[in-house]
Amino acid sequence: MSEATHNHSADQKELISFRIGQQEFCVDIMAVREIRGWTPATPLPQTPAFVRGVINLRGAVLPIVDLAARLGLGTVEPTARHVIIVVRIGEQMVGLLVDAVCDILTVTEAMLQPTPDVACDQVKSFVKGIMAIEGRMISLITLDRVLPSLEAEAA
Amino acid sequence: MDPLAAIRDTFFQECEEQLAELESGLLAMEAGDRDSETINAVFRAVHSVKGGAGAFGLEALVRFSHVFETTLDDLRSGKLEVEDAIIKTMLRAADLLADHVRAARDGGGVDEGRSQAVAEELTALAPGGHGPDDASEEEEDLMGGMVFQPLSVDIGPLEPLADLPPLEFAPLELGEEPPLVDDEVLEGLKTWTIRFKPKRALYANANEASLLLRELDRLGLTTVTLDLEALPPLGQFDPEEPYLAWEVALETEADEAAIRDVFEFVEGDCDLHVQRPAQAAPAPAAAASDILPELPPPAPQEIDVAALIARAQEAAQILDPVAASAPAPAAARAGPPKAVEPPAAAGAPPAATIRVDLERVDRLINLVGELVINQAMLAQRIDGAGLARANDIAMGLDDLEQLTREIQDSVMAIRAQPVKSVFQRMPRLVREVAAMTGKRVRLVTDGEGTEVDKTVIERLTDPITHMIRNAIDHGLESPEARAAAGKPEEGTVKLTALHRGGRIVIEVKDDGQGINRPRVRQLAVDKGLIAAEAVLTDEEIDNLIFMPGFSTASSVSDISGRGVGMDVVKRSIQALGGRIAISSTPGSGSTFTLSLPLTLAVLDGMVVSVCGQTLVAPLSGIIETLQPKENEVRRLGPNATLIAIRETYVPLIDIGAVLGYRTEPVDPTAGVALLVESENGARAALLVDAIQGQRQVVIKSLESNYRHIVGIAAATILGDGRVALILDVDAVVSRRGEPAPALAAAG
Repeated sequence: MSEATHNHSADQKELISFRIGQQEFCVDIMAVREIRGWTPATPLPQTPAFVRGVINLRGAVLPIVDLAARLGLGTVEPTARHVIIVVRIGEQMVGLLVDAVCDILTVTEAMLQPTPDVACDQVKSFVKGIMAIEGRMISLITLDRVLPSLEAEAA
Repeated sequence: MDPLAAIRDTFFQECEEQLAELESGLLAMEAGDRDSETINAVFRAVHSVKGGAGAFGLEALVRFSHVFETTLDDLRSGKLEVEDAIIKTMLRAADLLADHVRAARDGGGVDEGRSQAVAEELTALAPGGHGPDDASEEEEDLMGGMVFQPLSVDIGPLEPLADLPPLEFAPLELGEEPPLVDDEVLEGLKTWTIRFKPKRALYANANEASLLLRELDRLGLTTVTLDLEALPPLGQFDPEEPYLAWEVALETEADEAAIRDVFEFVEGDCDLHVQRPAQAAPAPAAAASDILPELPPPAPQEIDVAALIARAQEAAQILDPVAASAPAPAAARAGPPKAVEPPAAAGAPPAATIRVDLERVDRLINLVGELVINQAMLAQRIDGAGLARANDIAMGLDDLEQLTREIQDSVMAIRAQPVKSVFQRMPRLVREVAAMTGKRVRLVTDGEGTEVDKTVIERLTDPITHMIRNAIDHGLESPEARAAAGKPEEGTVKLTALHRGGRIVIEVKDDGQGINRPRVRQLAVDKGLIAAEAVLTDEEIDNLIFMPGFSTASSVSDISGRGVGMDVVKRSIQALGGRIAISSTPGSGSTFTLSLPLTLAVLDGMVVSVCGQTLVAPLSGIIETLQPKENEVRRLGPNATLIAIRETYVPLIDIGAVLGYRTEPVDPTAGVALLVESENGARAALLVDAIQGQRQVVIKSLESNYRHIVGIAAATILGDGRVALILDVDAVVSRRGEPAPALAAAG
């Protein structure tokens, strides 16, 4: 954990960064409800491969999205060392399966660079922009499209 | 929420209840129940709405309900005969009253023209011919005409008389006064004498005597007399003790019940004597003193009306020492009031109820759900710890399990409600749709008392509404066509609710033309829903109407064609774990059958394993379980497998394949088959690997955080804390023959 700077001002926001493979991503901390360890999920039929299934989150049924698979980074069999970041997307709660949580970052809008054109479509639709922080490249994830949409399933 | 808004909310909630009461009363009358109790109930409903509306200053509502009430009153007093035509008008008025209530609640207006027309229709019914203007004037009168002003009463002279016996009142003129009849007074006007003496509790309950007197004034012409007799000397005043009593001479057409209704909410908190008109004359005041033996005086109290002032002054004079020598009141007891039993004695009091915020109940239900899961988890862990069954812990756990289940049942019962609340909305719908389509329709309902969970009730209205609309619009023929077919011109739509197999079944049955199968088939072909050469059974053709984009009406009608097809109805019902089916006989009608679970919160299920996964199959759909034997399993075509069950072949469906857990065919004899019956009667055997046991499970929605999955009804949480999926048996059965779609989507 590196040290986060805490001088708040209007355009600053806090992000939680996490690691998938060798890449680092982050999401807005306001969307994050909790972070918990991996527990085996119940697989769902008729579901894209990146949905690992559902787990019991204190009585609620929580779908788990394998973010690595969602971003096209391949799947790994989760172990007890994997982490689930529970986020709120609209009215729904979703668990994001990631390798590890790294840091809490305080950033400003100005630090966000547009996603370069090299990225493939799949990445581009989830990555809102990238940031260079302490020599690391961190991609900001948009959560809206993380869950499979109904239209996509119908097609 | 500010308190007034909360009271307002309560008022509107009560309005809904009153409106329901009103409608069911009118319908009972329509069905031939001309009992005075029924008519009274109808009257009371409108009266309560009016009373509340007056308190909130909802003028339009007051005005309309007043007109309505006046006519009902004529009906009640027998001045108006109960006839079908009148009831029809009343029903329309009830609809409009509901509109007025909603307009008052949600803002917005009411169709003034219609309101006016119905109001005129109502007043035209009245034999005395109260014009509508008459009604509104009277209304203004009672709002503005009554002036309340503080009146100070000089009680000084009383002091020296503190220990004297009760004083006699001079006989009140009231009774002898010629009734103040003016030209517009109608026949049947009677002068009642009402003596009203509040007790301490009346004021303690925040009731107000002046409001009651004002309410009496609504019934007719009142002459109010204040009875100061009970006033003690100033020195003995107890500020919280009521000392005043009133006597009211009321000229009205209303009957005793109406008068007593005014005091309905203070019953028991006051002494109330209502004296019949015939006996109004004999000096009642003295009798009052008999009823009020205890010494009373008011905190400075507002007393009403100019006429009263005179009476009060007179009373003050009577309190003059001269009168002190008057004889004991017994002498004046000449005409003991014919006190009528309070209405409470008339019928058994209704069971006590409370209003509870639904959120609180829901929270309780959720908590109990968690408790059930926790209890199961605990049981499993203790089992895992290898304790003997007879162990104290295990026995305690059994008790806990039983208690948990009882708590769960009791909590669920809190939310159970009769479907009456939904059924009650339907007569109006039928009237409106009938009027729009020019058809004559009679709605028959049955099983209104069938109870079902509140969450289910809420979801019933839309589908029932749609099915009834559909039955009238598409099912029933025009009166001419019916006559030509030798049927009664009036079509019948029967709405039935019943419990069947742990579910609630709603049937909407019409005696119309039935489904025109050749036409439905043609339409489906035209719309490309089926291939022209497809061979369909009658049942399959009937079910075409549930296909998206299907509408049998040649023109999109105003009623059924509101952009919502039967497919939407079907889907919304399926989302609730419900089914809808249709059966139809050409020429004699169609029946829509809708079935829903009694509760959306818990389910009795059979826990099974498939490919290492734990699934729950709803017990309600399972007929039996069996072990497939080699010689019972037959293959049909390339994919289908059948199993013989007592001479009948039913499809054998591998759950593992349907849900996409496996692609390789399995040996049926290694597993267990659950023989299930789906809502439309189709049977199938579902092949699973093993049965773990039966359990009541708490239903958890998949949709709230994810989405609907075909073949899966919901999820639940098992004793080990893991999520298990609940099978949607009907969806699985209806997919028979189709290759598992799961795999395709999963890729």
